[in-house]
Amino acid sequence: MRNIFIAIIAIMCIQASWGQMISGTVSDTNGEPLPGVTIVVSGTSRGATTNFDGEYSISASSGDILQFTYIGMKAKTVTVSNQSVINIVLEEDSEQLDEVIVTAFGISQEKKALGYAAQSIDAEAITQTKQTNIVNALQGQVAGVQITNSGGAPGQSARIIIRGINSLDPSADNQPLFVVDGVPIDNSTVESGGTPRGLSNRASDINPNDIESMSVLKGAAATALYGVRAANGAVIITTKKGKAGQVNINVNTSVGFEELNRLPELQGQYGQGFSGEYDPTSFWPSWGAPISEVAASEPGHKYQDNWNRAFDTGVQTDHSISVSGGSENATFYGSFGRFDQKGIIPFSDWARTSAKISGNVKLNEKFDFNGSINYTNSGGNRVPHDRFMERMMYWAETQDVRDYINEDGTMRTYGNTNPIYDARFSTYEDDVNRVIGNLNFNYSPWEWITLSYRIGTDFYSDMRTEITPGPKGIDGENALSSTGFIEETRINSKDITSNFYITLQKDWSEDLNTTLRLGNDIFQRKYDRVTLRGEDYVIPDFFNVNNTRQVFNSQGKSIRRLVGFYGDLMVNYKDYLYLNVTGRNDISSTLPKDNNSFFYPSVNLGYVFSENFDMPTWFTFGKLRASWAQVGKDTNPHILGSTFVSPDVFPLNGEVGFSRNSTFGDPALKPELTTSIEVGAQLSFFQSRLDLDVTYYKSNAEDQIIPVPISDGTGFSSYITNAGEIENSGFEFVLGGDIIKNENFQWTATANLSMNDNEIKSIREGIDEIVVGTQFGYAGSTTTMKLIEGDAYGNLYGTSYQRFGAAEDATTLDRNLPLVIGSNGFPERNAEQLILGNAVPKWIGGLRNMFSYKNFELSFLVDFRADVEQYNQFDNFLSAFGKNDYTLARNDFRVFDGVLADGSVNTQEVWLGQGTGPDGEDYGAGFWRNYYRGVTENFVQDASYVKLRNISLAYNLSSNTLDRLPFKSFRVSLAANNIILYSPWDGFDPESFSAGAGGNAVGFTGLGFPGTQSYYLTFNFGL
Amino acid sequence: MRISNNLKRLFGMGLVLILSACDSYLDVNENPNNPEDAPISGLMINGTYESAYNVYRIGDIAANYVQYLASPNQASASDTMEPISNNTAWFRLYNVMTDLVVLVEKAEEQGATHYQGAAQVLIALNLGMGVDIFGDMPFSESFNFETVTPAYDSDSSLYDIIMINLDQGIANLQTSTTASLGSDDFIYGGDVDKWLAFANFLKARFMIHLKDVDGYNASEILSSIDNAFTSNDDNAKVDFFEQSINPWSQVARNNANLVLGGWISEQFIEALDGTSYSTVDPRLPLMVGATDDGEYIGTVNGAGRGDAPEQGARSTLVEGQYYTSPGSPVLIGTFSEMKFIEAEAAFDVNKSRSYQAYLDGIVAHMEMLEVPQEEIDAYLASTEVSMGEGAFTIDDIFKEKWIALFLHPETWNDARRYDYQYKNMTLPANLNPNLNGEYIRRLPYPDSETSRNGNNVPSVTLLDRIFWDTE
Repeated sequence: MRNIFIAIIAIMCIQASWGQMISGTVSDTNGEPLPGVTIVVSGTSRGATTNFDGEYSISASSGDILQFTYIGMKAKTVTVSNQSVINIVLEEDSEQLDEVIVTAFGISQEKKALGYAAQSIDAEAITQTKQTNIVNALQGQVAGVQITNSGGAPGQSARIIIRGINSLDPSADNQPLFVVDGVPIDNSTVESGGTPRGLSNRASDINPNDIESMSVLKGAAATALYGVRAANGAVIITTKKGKAGQVNINVNTSVGFEELNRLPELQGQYGQGFSGEYDPTSFWPSWGAPISEVAASEPGHKYQDNWNRAFDTGVQTDHSISVSGGSENATFYGSFGRFDQKGIIPFSDWARTSAKISGNVKLNEKFDFNGSINYTNSGGNRVPHDRFMERMMYWAETQDVRDYINEDGTMRTYGNTNPIYDARFSTYEDDVNRVIGNLNFNYSPWEWITLSYRIGTDFYSDMRTEITPGPKGIDGENALSSTGFIEETRINSKDITSNFYITLQKDWSEDLNTTLRLGNDIFQRKYDRVTLRGEDYVIPDFFNVNNTRQVFNSQGKSIRRLVGFYGDLMVNYKDYLYLNVTGRNDISSTLPKDNNSFFYPSVNLGYVFSENFDMPTWFTFGKLRASWAQVGKDTNPHILGSTFVSPDVFPLNGEVGFSRNSTFGDPALKPELTTSIEVGAQLSFFQSRLDLDVTYYKSNAEDQIIPVPISDGTGFSSYITNAGEIENSGFEFVLGGDIIKNENFQWTATANLSMNDNEIKSIREGIDEIVVGTQFGYAGSTTTMKLIEGDAYGNLYGTSYQRFGAAEDATTLDRNLPLVIGSNGFPERNAEQLILGNAVPKWIGGLRNMFSYKNFELSFLVDFRADVEQYNQFDNFLSAFGKNDYTLARNDFRVFDGVLADGSVNTQEVWLGQGTGPDGEDYGAGFWRNYYRGVTENFVQDASYVKLRNISLAYNLSSNTLDRLPFKSFRVSLAANNIILYSPWDGFDPESFSAGAGGNAVGFTGLGFPGTQSYYLTFNFGL
Repeated sequence: MRISNNLKRLFGMGLVLILSACDSYLDVNENPNNPEDAPISGLMINGTYESAYNVYRIGDIAANYVQYLASPNQASASDTMEPISNNTAWFRLYNVMTDLVVLVEKAEEQGATHYQGAAQVLIALNLGMGVDIFGDMPFSESFNFETVTPAYDSDSSLYDIIMINLDQGIANLQTSTTASLGSDDFIYGGDVDKWLAFANFLKARFMIHLKDVDGYNASEILSSIDNAFTSNDDNAKVDFFEQSINPWSQVARNNANLVLGGWISEQFIEALDGTSYSTVDPRLPLMVGATDDGEYIGTVNGAGRGDAPEQGARSTLVEGQYYTSPGSPVLIGTFSEMKFIEAEAAFDVNKSRSYQAYLDGIVAHMEMLEVPQEEIDAYLASTEVSMGEGAFTIDDIFKEKWIALFLHPETWNDARRYDYQYKNMTLPANLNPNLNGEYIRRLPYPDSETSRNGNNVPSVTLLDRIFWDTE
């Protein structure tokens, strides 16, 4: 030990005694000092960095070459002569070209050197969106990335899909891996059992104010090093770090208001009852007499405008403070944030408290370490939004929905359950405590080798309590449940990631240098979920499991381990040819032992032709890139072979039954394999005033591990095996421009556009289809999302109107053909399941514009999706209950456009109303209930939109004003979010869907939490 | 060179160490939630419970076809005999048969012959219920997982398998066992004599289906009946549970909560209230609920409730009666049903035994419902009921059996054998036009099966008959 100490001292002494001391200041072209500039004496291991004031000192001899490097600046070299002071001015590098992208394992790389497409967004682009969920912050900003909000509830999940859906397994997680500071974190969405509650995707535990940048790695080439877990891409999040120099304090405070952004077109003329007759106790909310007619005899009877009045104005507040700073050798960053939101459905709320501390210590030139720990508490009351909207459907438009409670606490109602009463008392609260931490060590004994180790943890507990009260024991009450229940859920999840790698760097010559990385990666996830449910309260309104007559419990736990070995070779030839070869071998605990080790390679090439050939001056930069990559994929833990389960119903009379699990996991299962190719070009013109990036990709996922539905006659219903192939291919375009760039006024714009084509190449011999999901529709209008060979993912099937001239074997509805009208004068229904639309948008894109004029900044982000259909369950219900605008045509006569079975034009006039029409015919429940609501075709609708995702106007206080104030900076901004500019959709925000971020059945709106638009006022102070 | 060799060796050893450590580190895939094996007792618990539930499930499918129940909605597919995909019933039949096949294997290994025998009886019960509604089904290529697209066996060959299972079951139940049935047997609580009676009862039930098929032998049925039930005490049934209430009780409860279901067909009401027959049946108020006005009004199959409101204006199942209390039994086979089988089997060979069995069947059902003795006597006193041996016809047997098997799936088998000739029974309104004015004869194969095993699924229409349903 003592010897080592002496040796270290000796080495330091040698360094100190080398040549002369050189000092100076490094600044940018504006004369601002640059802290953190790296200075190296060429060909030695001696180096230094500038302090906060841009000052440095280093020992060097005459003739030595000093290299000054700084991210975002052009490197500069100076030969030392006799001077002892060398001041340096570094020039900005053209920003786009040498844009630095954080890639796998947190390695920063110049975008120029990449052989695959990658895109990143910075802190400003993230916080400006005012999104509390970092997934939403990516919306519209990255090509090939589709973000979908599952609804407008506080804290509700958002789904992210990169370059299409890659699995035929309806329950597969097709979302990318989320990595924070090199450590993968959990982004699962654990939905509630029972009625939908709209829970959070776990990435929403991250406070967006802590984020420095997010880069999106899209293809297998980009994520090859992460292996199986990033088979669907990766979102690499880098959090803010402290910088050497003065302590910076930043305070951010924001208040926001939100409201419903869209309503279906509703009718306000007909009220409670059926067959046009008024009945104040009727279940039927809107098939009764005209409201104005009844009002004449019943004072106070009116259209209550419940759809506008049932919702509150939501309120959000967001406060955060961060403190950062440090010295040359140690920096820190600490932050605290609190976010609160009350949603538009009464009694819905969500809050997040987060605290983070991170630090970086550089012990000496050879050894540094850093670490961070992030604590989050999040959760709220998740109202039964789907049931709320369903009960709104049933609620009479002439009864005040806000008048929901009696003095004794029981529900006030004319008969139907009041939605607000239910939202208030059927509670579901989650309380998540989460700690994400990481420690990194880097040791560089010699210049050419670095040993790095990183350990990361992501632990959380999720405590959930669901309560539905039973009867209070008051005469005549309308209880929400005849027994009531309480359900306690406890989820514990622990992720540990360990990553060790060696980086070897070698400059073979001026022109050729290489970097080789070899590493080992270990991942473990332990998950445990325990549920305890008590039903039938003994004492009313005393909510404890001990106070219930029946108790049920269940447990599910799992463990998954992965061990990976990887290698990564990067070759740089003359700074214009970049070759990158990777290989990774994963061993997974989830696969059969004989097949659990699998290797997959990748190779990518970047060729900066603009540095190889002389280009015209307007052609600033040009690069071609190509890649080929494979990635393997394991499966879920504990699925192999056959097991026995104890069905939920047991115990019965103390007896516990067992049944063989109807799922059988192939004992010879092998890993899935996805092969992708990508080619692209990155071009830049007019001194980088205009940038264009184009990418084509194609990926084929083969030997998919999917639960193949098999004949129940086999003794199983589902066989998890390797079967099927799915292909995604598409184009991505990113266009950026500095359109106006002068001292007072700047305008920059970035646009992205992507197109994805999906095809299910095969399933398995003898198996026709895989059902992803179904959604209920009245009277046979249920829709089903099915996967069928040769089709695209997301096709929606259902019933339609009979078409004249449709081919016998047509599988897709041709809406242009004329309707077949039956002998009764009404359209004929076709009960056969036809393709009515596709729920995966073919086109997505976004446009971001930023203007700055003196101290003002204006920015807006528009995004769109097109060529997408969705099942509108709201519309189905509204038509069944006579609530939407078009059901006003209830006492009209109509001649339906179409032809009779013989092809002759229909001329028969029919009445659309209920009961006996003016023509003396009995029309039963009428057209809307007997025909319209029962045809799926009517409710599979175009769900395209163009949205003003965000617009914000900010004002920064100028520096002369700031001099008189105790602030370093001050900024105030106004923003508005999620304003729908255009959509052909009739209904609530078409973006909302019922499955939640964890599900793949995206084409169903359900009766989910409607979308909102919001307005914010934000102050930001720098101290 | 030597250094590099040593390095290589060291590296090699390291790799071996890492890999072997890996092996045990990664050996964590055993399922922590579901065991790889289950005790025969646990399989028997689930097997008896699910078999009873299957009786309910198929009873629920058939209840509208035989016009016990009618949909409150107009032209409901269950009333109008449209093709309905009964995925759940199909799955549940195979699911429980899978467990029973596993149970038979395990019990055989352990020498637990009583478990083996009871499981064989239950296989016969479930397979029989399946064949009677679906016809041909996969069986000989089932359960061993040698193919994912099992071939179909003909319905008549499956009847042979049913009989073999019953005969082997009887033999096994009569052999000494290493383990005895007990409270894990939800049907008989371990009473092996009753299991034997039940096995014989099932033989009689399946044999009477074959009345119009070659090889039918009435005396075999009668001798099985001699070894079957002796009273209602022997009824094969599962009493339901506080934690899982009787499914018909659940239907009644849901209906009260406006999730409509369990509406009584006009056909059934009129058969008991003195409309179709002049005798008023004392069982009516014990089996179904009255309207708010205390009347019994049925719903016409296929017509829906028309102007009637959701509640109070039509007879429905109501919670708390014999069939609909939370703890009510689901009846699998009853003494009363056996008496009617006896009556039918004996009708041509021993008419006085037949007539007596008919009367005993009525009494058995009434006693089960706890009809007061004087009301039983009064009912039996009606000459419409006790018409005497001479005037007694097969119609009388089917009529009384129809009432006594309220909500039971066996009635649909009877109805098809009897060509739906119940007095005053008419086709539902809005009948599926593809039936050409005839009654439904079978179920279609469920969508789940046609999409997964399409090449093997026989092509059938709803007018194609099960082999025992001769024209």
